[in-house]
Amino acid sequence: MAQIDIQNVQKFFGQLQVLKNLNLTIADGEFVVMLGQSGGGKTTALRAIAGLESVTSGKILINGTEVQDRKAADRDIAFVFQSFSLYPHMNVRENISFPLRAVRMNATERDKAVNEVAEILQIAEHLNRKPSALSGGDMQRVAIARALVRRPQALLMDEPLGVLDAKLREQMRAEIKRLHIARGSTSVYVTHDQIEAMSLADRIVILHDGVLQQVGAPDEVYLHPTNLFVAKFVGSPVMNVNGARIEGNSVTLTGADASFGFPDDALARVRGTQADLALGARPEAVLLEHQPTEGYLEVETTNIEPLGSHDIVDVRLGHTVLRARTASGFVQGQGQKVWARLDPAQTHFFDTATGLNLRGAN
Amino acid sequence: MAAVRTSGERTTNRLAIVLVLIITMIFLAPIYWIASTAFKPRNLATTIPPTIVFTPEISPFVKLFTKRSQLRAPPTQEEYEAAPWWERLVFDGGEKVVRSGRGEVQLSGYPSRFMNSLIVAITSTVLAVGMGTFTAYGFSRFKVKGEQDLLFFILSTRMLPPVVVAIPMFLMYRAVGLNDTHWGLIILYTAFNLSFAVWLMKGFIDEIPKEYEEAALVDGYTRMQAFFKIVLPEAATGIAATAVFCFITAWNEYAFALIMTNRRAQTAPPFIPSQVGSGLPDWTVIASGTLLFLLPVAIFTFLLRNHLLRGMSFGAIRK
Repeated sequence: MAQIDIQNVQKFFGQLQVLKNLNLTIADGEFVVMLGQSGGGKTTALRAIAGLESVTSGKILINGTEVQDRKAADRDIAFVFQSFSLYPHMNVRENISFPLRAVRMNATERDKAVNEVAEILQIAEHLNRKPSALSGGDMQRVAIARALVRRPQALLMDEPLGVLDAKLREQMRAEIKRLHIARGSTSVYVTHDQIEAMSLADRIVILHDGVLQQVGAPDEVYLHPTNLFVAKFVGSPVMNVNGARIEGNSVTLTGADASFGFPDDALARVRGTQADLALGARPEAVLLEHQPTEGYLEVETTNIEPLGSHDIVDVRLGHTVLRARTASGFVQGQGQKVWARLDPAQTHFFDTATGLNLRGAN
Repeated sequence: MAAVRTSGERTTNRLAIVLVLIITMIFLAPIYWIASTAFKPRNLATTIPPTIVFTPEISPFVKLFTKRSQLRAPPTQEEYEAAPWWERLVFDGGEKVVRSGRGEVQLSGYPSRFMNSLIVAITSTVLAVGMGTFTAYGFSRFKVKGEQDLLFFILSTRMLPPVVVAIPMFLMYRAVGLNDTHWGLIILYTAFNLSFAVWLMKGFIDEIPKEYEEAALVDGYTRMQAFFKIVLPEAATGIAATAVFCFITAWNEYAFALIMTNRRAQTAPPFIPSQVGSGLPDWTVIASGTLLFLLPVAIFTFLLRNHLLRGMSFGAIRK
């Protein structure tokens, strides 16, 4: 088990900078998920920790030892690839014992270690089969078993569930979490799926264009995004983001023909700013009522997505559309008149030029 | 799922089979010709029209392996009865087996030429495929400055008809004493096959996902170990295919072998036709020599057929 420190890491591929001054500390036993779009630098960061990619400058420390110039083999970490990367010419047992053969562990101990890890991952009955005879989920279990069998300092996973179908992904997600709780290994997990990130992570690291955007617990990242990118990337459906103009205590969204009233304290932080503002509100921050209510604006429903546990309702306010989350069946159909309000406590103001959340991290 | 076939399709299918059989027969005809001639009595080898039905004989093979001379007079009854069965076959053809002063049977040039062919073809194939695989791996996995230019340069060595350089090569070989040596031909064939091996192997190695090696690297292996434990087994199909092609090229090469060698290191291809001109041409002996010469390539290809036919097995990688 280990603590991993990434200090001022820069990475260039030719002219292209893919990691820009990355700093991050991953605590011993922590499960950190790197989240971002493809090309955001998250996989490069993971491969740099593993030693599969060199860094242009900066330091990587595992348990306080600088490893950025060491070979992957000497870092004592394990890596799970998106493609699983099981060796087709070896059977499952040979695949899992492959890392143990590198350190020339004797055959009895090796078999014991393989059987033990196979038991944990429930693949004991497949040990003599070839990888090509396994299902996707079992392939992934074998890949994880191969990574864990050596008891590495840290377990690195690069979109390990990316190629599985939705149902299996959910199941494997739960298994990975269970395994992490059981073994407590320091884990770094890369994904572009924010639901996977939210459900697995102790902390989420959001990378975009090689720049670290925010590090925080899942709820922190969800409730207090530091900037527009994080706000839009985390959460499904996506946060409503609209241009906004503030006059006194009323906030007018771009394209809207009426304005919402906001209490003083909600606007205190943006008072006096010269920046162009954007207002961000998650669907659950858009509150709907059937009857005209004090502080609510009249809107018209344009689309309803019934999702069983709740509905996502699109409402039109002038020329702009807001998405609201309601109890299922709250709105019966399109073209209905309902009344809407934004919850000031769940509303964010962003500087459109810098993208920063102006309400800070309250 | 069995597709439903109409009667029209069935007819087309049968016609196609007949067509394939005809084409196969056309291609196999020369092989049949050689094989049948190799077992014919000498007087039937050149009949017009060709003799199809005959009693096969083993005598051409006996003659192929022994040094013989013309009989001035038929052998005496004693001589004939004292001779082993195979020598009688030679007597029957109006020749006798040449023996040394101590009575040992003198072998013809064929067995040593055949061995030369084996030595040269196998060694040059191992060298070309081995070096080609390493080179291809380097080009496939590392950033090589001017990679495209280098690859083109490697291929360009095959753009010239090899015979064009035969005379300068001969002069150079003579200057350094490589003419009529095994190594001379081995170096020549290795150089000739190497560019081909590099290109072919690069294609195969490119197909092997580099995650396999990366997994091995993280699991505590060096790149060299990863190469031998992961890349080579995965590239077996490619190596087999490349080896077959290199072996065939080296085995069948005629022009350079004819120019560069004359006795010690001469391979079978220039030797077999040279027998046409010594004494009266015995086509049955030439055919039997040719037939035996075909066997190694046929056996080699047959042994590797599974590798040649099998597709790359990438069952365990998900894209």
